[in-house]
Amino acid sequence: MPENPVLVIGGGPAGLEAARGVADLGYHVKLVEKAERLGGMPILADYAALTPNMVNAEEAMGEMVQRIENDELIDIRTSTEVIRASGSAPALEIGLNGPGGEEDIQTGGVIVATGFQHFDPGKETQMYGYYEFDDVITLVDTERMLKAGKFVRPSTGEAPKQVCFIQCVGSRDRQIGNPWCSKVCCGIATKEAIEIRQLIPDCRVFIFYIDMRMYGFWEDEIYWKAQEKYKVNFIRGIVTEITKRGDQVVVKGEDTTMGRPVEVPMDVVILSIGMEPSEGTKKMGELFQLPSTHGFIESIGGALNTVVTSVPGIFVAGAAAGPADLEDSVSMGGAAAMKAAAFLRKANLRVA
Amino acid sequence: MSIYADAKYSEVPVETKQALFDEVKADMRYEHQLYGCYECGICVAACPSARFYDFSPRVFAQVMAREDVDTFYELLNDSVWDCSQCFSCTRCPRQNNPGAVITIMREVAVNHGLQSAKEALKSYSRIIYKIMSTGTQVAPDMLQPDFFPDWGPDVKQVSENLDVWRRCVPPETMHTTELAWDVSEKTRLELYMIWKLTGNLEMIEKIDEGIFMILEEVMEELLEENGYDIDDFENLLEEDEE
Amino acid sequence: MQQTSADKVFNPPTLSSREFKRDNPPPTEDYREKLFELEKAGELEVQRVPEPYVELETKYGRIKKIPYQMTWHHKSCGQCGHIPGYSTAIFWLNRKLGFDYHDPRDQTSCTAWNYYASSTSNSAAQAGIAVRNFSQAKIDGYFPVIHCGTSYGHYKETREQLLHYPVLRRQVRKIMDRLKMPFVFPEEIVHYSEWVHAMRDRIAEMQVLDLSNVTVTVHPACHYHKLVVEDAVYDRDLFDGQRTAVISGLVEALGARVGDYSTWHDCCGFGFRHILVSRDFSRSFATTRKIERMKEEVNPDVTLTHDTGCVTTLDKSQFAAQAHKRNVGIPVMSDAQFAALAMGAHPYIVCQLHWHGVDMKPLLEKMGIDHKKAWAEFEVQAERIKAGEIEYISWEEADA
Repeated sequence: MPENPVLVIGGGPAGLEAARGVADLGYHVKLVEKAERLGGMPILADYAALTPNMVNAEEAMGEMVQRIENDELIDIRTSTEVIRASGSAPALEIGLNGPGGEEDIQTGGVIVATGFQHFDPGKETQMYGYYEFDDVITLVDTERMLKAGKFVRPSTGEAPKQVCFIQCVGSRDRQIGNPWCSKVCCGIATKEAIEIRQLIPDCRVFIFYIDMRMYGFWEDEIYWKAQEKYKVNFIRGIVTEITKRGDQVVVKGEDTTMGRPVEVPMDVVILSIGMEPSEGTKKMGELFQLPSTHGFIESIGGALNTVVTSVPGIFVAGAAAGPADLEDSVSMGGAAAMKAAAFLRKANLRVA
Repeated sequence: MSIYADAKYSEVPVETKQALFDEVKADMRYEHQLYGCYECGICVAACPSARFYDFSPRVFAQVMAREDVDTFYELLNDSVWDCSQCFSCTRCPRQNNPGAVITIMREVAVNHGLQSAKEALKSYSRIIYKIMSTGTQVAPDMLQPDFFPDWGPDVKQVSENLDVWRRCVPPETMHTTELAWDVSEKTRLELYMIWKLTGNLEMIEKIDEGIFMILEEVMEELLEENGYDIDDFENLLEEDEE
Repeated sequence: MQQTSADKVFNPPTLSSREFKRDNPPPTEDYREKLFELEKAGELEVQRVPEPYVELETKYGRIKKIPYQMTWHHKSCGQCGHIPGYSTAIFWLNRKLGFDYHDPRDQTSCTAWNYYASSTSNSAAQAGIAVRNFSQAKIDGYFPVIHCGTSYGHYKETREQLLHYPVLRRQVRKIMDRLKMPFVFPEEIVHYSEWVHAMRDRIAEMQVLDLSNVTVTVHPACHYHKLVVEDAVYDRDLFDGQRTAVISGLVEALGARVGDYSTWHDCCGFGFRHILVSRDFSRSFATTRKIERMKEEVNPDVTLTHDTGCVTTLDKSQFAAQAHKRNVGIPVMSDAQFAALAMGAHPYIVCQLHWHGVDMKPLLEKMGIDHKKAWAEFEVQAERIKAGEIEYISWEEADA
């Protein structure tokens, strides 16, 4: 009797890597993705270049998709959601809802790779006016423009002369209930700052930050590069509020290094919005009764076991477990594949 | 000992500073007003006092979170009265409330009759008298040109026409000149009782003995006239501590 | 297949692509639930908002009930004392709308101006004073509406403390027992400007002046929208729910123009202690950060606010600045006074504009008010009082 397939929920970087890993280890995979297309947030949110290596998102994710598309062990179901779960691994009964209607399947194990959603700046308790001012945009809006090879003031369609990023929007904030650091925003903002400087050399770019979190090689590959080569201005201190003066927006804050008040008009302000658990992550957490931290799915082993949850046969990978960069996500996808395959193998040995 | 080379008040024993700090920290409100500070400066740009004084809500948050009692003592004496108490700083993403910590620090400064507190409140005492004895903070008869010379000629006009102009105000409760509105005697007595029962007169005594004596006399007389036994007013807060 | 933007025409991310959906659960607890729990436990009595009421949206999307009438008017020291047209206008609006209200003598100040100025008090006294006023309202059979922004903010702060500190509730219980009064707290703490906002369409229906050529700047009070933010009123149709809707909502309803300026969120500079004994600070802040910015960026006919301290600071600070040839000179009044004028209230007998510092005449002319005639009418009444003909101007005269 062939063993039940591993169900991978979510077709982003973590899910794609998990599916590939499970298949490479010789087990069947059912890869379920809610969207019409595989590739996850980098594709769905129109990322331009990936952080930190600045490779084209469309191409990089395309390669990941290509690697699994023709694998006969992998059954790909897009536009499909997991709606029911009962029993226990390795004989979990799962209800799917896809283009062909509802379907019940049996799986041997599950890898939850449902990822994150971008923070909605309307919830911010600072006064950033994302819903009031055309020229206040987010990292994601910026990616979309960069992907089209342009960067303009939304209000005029013209190239900006002065742009700033505000870090930690929706992260590290007790007031709105998001006390975590989203890990990637410092890197992404700095990457985008470089891209804007490359695109519009006479545009001044500022980054208002609390701490620049540029781990490992991000330090010299993007942070130092932005400071030294691209002359991006890093200002320690976060913007308190954004208001309108004439046809420009004004940012107000404190430069805490200098201990001086900042009040400066900007053509474009980019909010570095953080990560929150996606709807899918919250739903799967409930469906499989997985304990969570801040709404993200908890692994039982902390740093030493990043993908095993407290429910046997259910694994987690990528930003479903907490803010994660691509390295984290893909590494966790691989680790989850290995753990899931091992779980099935041990289960089969027991049956035999 | 302070970590700063330019520290002030090194002559004040650290035990004194620590005791004052502990009193602030012991206030029940403190634990929900001060967490930690990562120096984002959001509070500073929102703060009106920070634009005009050498004053920073961020410094308050940082010093209190570090439990740096030496610098706390500097703030308690040199900075605490500059705050506008507008609570613009409540936008803190760490949910600190520097303004509210300052309210508590000021209470401690008053309770200990610190010289700096006395100086900050020197010309303010008559307002304390007004609010405690009448139940309204300001009154029409305070609009005097010599007290508000910078407010323009309207103040003079108001003060000259005060009695008639007050009677030109339609609500029956507002024909007063010594009170903002006509607070009934019953209600004023109730307010005195609250002040006495919560030990507020003792606080005033620490800051301005003259005002305290007048207040005590006026209030006790009125309470006695109305058949209250003033010896019966123990401080409820002290009782609660037992 | 989801299209990639590379395939599409390039569209910059403008506001048309954004709509704030307030569909997240509020990050704060619901104070009403906690109040009702305490009521159930017998610790206090919750006064319900009387029907009928208007439901308004607050900062995080919860609904707040604002009563039409049966309101107990918790007056403000600074309004009654120095800006008497402020309180009078609130009462006048109630009378014109035909509502039952109560203007109590059994009310004290919240005493928070003093507390924020001098800290010569403590949380037990402050909570005792709040609850005494609320209990009196309940006894009188009316629901409290708070005139002062600071009272409103301070009472909300006090509510938080009462809900979280049993020791404070015990202290207040003892105080109330000594006063032989019940321990009452209202279901909602309602600011009069929320009531004005709730009534803005009715007010507009009774409007007699055309205000379409009047430009207004709005100053929101810190103690209204910063000190305990969760139940300040927001409206998804105004500023996309990102700033408090009070005042601005009224101005829109009255057909005047709201001008935005870059220091909208800034404090007025009142400072509590400063306005009385360190006024150089208040004056500098009010003029340089608020009035001059409004003047430069909008040049409004009037600035409207909804708190005692803000009217005082913004108005009175301009005289000295004018003497120094600064770019000032904007009339300042409350939303209630502006609404009353729009409905035909007398500028001096009801709105008592002669107590304000900045010259109101150009504004009144623009609003179509004959201020000379109005002042003459006021003086006739003042003369009758001086001559002993009448003791004071009655409501009947003011209503006429």
